[in-house]
Amino acid sequence: MLKHFLALFVFILPFAGWSQEDLLGMVSDSAKKAPSRKVYATFKTTRVVSAQTIETVRKRNLDFRITHRFGNLYNNTLPNALNDAAHKFFGMDNISDVRLSFDYGITDDITVGIGRSKYREMYDGTFKWRFLTQRENNSVPVSVCFYGNVGYTSMTTDNLYAGVIRPKTNEAHRFQYLSQFIIARKFSKRLSLELLPTYVHRNFIKQQVNTRNGKEDQNDLFSLGIGGRIKLSPRFALVADYFYNFSDFQRNNPAGFYNPLSVGVEIETGGHVFHVNFCNSTAILESSMLTSTQDTWKSGQIKLGFNISRWFVL
Amino acid sequence: MKTFICLAILLICQITASAQIFRGKSEATTITFFSKSPLEDITATNSKGTIMMNTTTGDVQALVTMLYFRFKKPLMEEHFNENYVESDKYPACVFKGKIADKPDLSKDGDYKVTVTGQFTLHGVTRDVSMEGTITRKGDVITISSKFKIRIADYNIRVPSLYVQNIAEVVDVTVSSEMAPFVKK
Repeated sequence: MLKHFLALFVFILPFAGWSQEDLLGMVSDSAKKAPSRKVYATFKTTRVVSAQTIETVRKRNLDFRITHRFGNLYNNTLPNALNDAAHKFFGMDNISDVRLSFDYGITDDITVGIGRSKYREMYDGTFKWRFLTQRENNSVPVSVCFYGNVGYTSMTTDNLYAGVIRPKTNEAHRFQYLSQFIIARKFSKRLSLELLPTYVHRNFIKQQVNTRNGKEDQNDLFSLGIGGRIKLSPRFALVADYFYNFSDFQRNNPAGFYNPLSVGVEIETGGHVFHVNFCNSTAILESSMLTSTQDTWKSGQIKLGFNISRWFVL
Repeated sequence: MKTFICLAILLICQITASAQIFRGKSEATTITFFSKSPLEDITATNSKGTIMMNTTTGDVQALVTMLYFRFKKPLMEEHFNENYVESDKYPACVFKGKIADKPDLSKDGDYKVTVTGQFTLHGVTRDVSMEGTITRKGDVITISSKFKIRIADYNIRVPSLYVQNIAEVVDVTVSSEMAPFVKK
């Protein structure tokens, strides 16, 4: 009798087990888990504010950008600064620089672009290659990019050589170059930081001396940038970048050379990314910006700027 | 001896019973959603869903990893995961339900069924009921279902700026070819 009862129990058991069974639990976890992916959206766009980010334009996408810097908001080195600010409508009447550019994604990691800036009438070609991408499981802890650009100024020969004894005219004098590695890490959903060791070479410079330390301006410039983004809401973030120039000529120069600092807010709306920002740099193209920033935050020489980016799928 | 035969029969019963669990073949299971709006039509397909069905009890369960939804535009995929479904917080949506008035699915044929159960998306669980068809032909079961999801029900907020781009109600289509599942 007991045996029969036991047999009945064995018979019932499997059915009892199924009345509320966990079918999904039978499947091995690997089929259900998300893949260890590349970290996405370290930054939202290809620029922090003035500095490049490790973001590239996606394959077969085109990024049209308008980057704009107004004049100084204020300038307390002037005798009647307030009147001057009102006179120039806090810099809004002036344009320090404006750059229009197109960037195209050849692959998801390689972007090429062309641009044109008002400052020194600079045409440029850019190349960005992200050869390492941070992964979510930290098997690759950082993303690394190489970014390079070549600038060509279309200034008239007279302007190009203004103020110097004109050397033998040479097209090469119009070129300037920038090479940069960008090392970035998305630390959390909210915080991303990056470092940008940078090298700038200008083929032609005017001879200038820092009268305090007797150092001359150099064709080459090394600089280290740092940039970051703090996301406050899904579509709103604070962004900032800063470059420290390793230049004896620029440091403590009575003519006034400063390290560029840019801060801004980032607003993302679908295919657009807007930046509204403040910075002390005059030029937008990095090779110009690092070598020509002669305004300082301390004197209120801050410029309102905006970056607009619109992506197109080609 | 009697007991032995009895146990042997039971054992066979158990083996046949275990063949009543079906699993969607990974290469033949797709979950698609479609959002139609004045400005933009958005479609995304996920072909890595896990769907399980027990033809004896009528249990139907599914798990779909959000990160496997593929969109036409990569930027849409990024926004979908980051701003709308928040895949890092809620990596998958899960359905656990039962076929109501379950027909005898052990026989070949087409069956129209209603499945009721709980659907969890974006951390919100709701009771849902969806209609679908089940077709059995030998050891292959094909299921398909179309149902609607009101995204506001699942706490997925669309900023007023995009109301024109994203539909309030999205159509979801599920289809799967299922084969007997053998637990390893």
